[in-house]
Amino acid sequence: MTWLAIFLIVLGLFFLVVGSIGMLRLPDVFSRAHALSLTDSLGAVLVLAGLAVYEGFSMNFLRILVVLVLVYLLNPVISHATIRAAYRSGLRPTNKESK
Amino acid sequence: MRFFAAFALFVLWLVLSASYNVLHMATGAVVASMVVWLSPTAAPHLRQFSWWAALMYVPWLIVRILKSGFHVSRLILDPALPIAPELIQHKTKLSSDGELVVLGNSITLTPGTITVEVAPGELIVHALDAPSCVELKSGLFDERVGRLFSVKEDQK
Repeated sequence: MTWLAIFLIVLGLFFLVVGSIGMLRLPDVFSRAHALSLTDSLGAVLVLAGLAVYEGFSMNFLRILVVLVLVYLLNPVISHATIRAAYRSGLRPTNKESK
Repeated sequence: MRFFAAFALFVLWLVLSASYNVLHMATGAVVASMVVWLSPTAAPHLRQFSWWAALMYVPWLIVRILKSGFHVSRLILDPALPIAPELIQHKTKLSSDGELVVLGNSITLTPGTITVEVAPGELIVHALDAPSCVELKSGLFDERVGRLFSVKEDQK
């Protein structure tokens, strides 16, 4: 059980690091948001899942589960709001190929 | 249905408060039933919501997120940074609020694609490169989300 927790947390940390690197390397706000969704929907969630597995079934397990569900519901809303605001204020992707 | 909602809220209260004396539990019960009593009746699209389909949908979405997560990681870690961002107009036959919320959220959750604008029947999606949006273009997402709300064919 501990090993599964370690595996999940290390995998989550990998995605967190890659997401941060992407935040620095990618060119504009649109593609940086992709790096953000990498940290959110994989990095943070895998770390939380690892903590839940480590905790075992208890009250804290249920609380982590609530946080997990909230992350999956709220993070896409936030990044969608940011990106839509950028789009409406006239920003366009750098090499755009509108189809 | 309303009793179920009140009960769910009460369980959430129990999980978050974690103090089980009579005063706290009674407060939770009163607050939960007040919230349900004061809020408007359940939205109509929730009536045709299939919990079984939702249970099948979540693991499918998680596998999808993992796969495209590794794809996007490879793109970011590649020294040449081989990205080709593009805006896609995605036509969909889904039109109700609930379906659009689930579809837009799933697209944004999946690394490599982000919902930019939402309108009934049409979404503007930003994709990091072409392989990221193959599954979206093939209409797989629409089909799965449609199954969630058991859309009828005449609702186009």
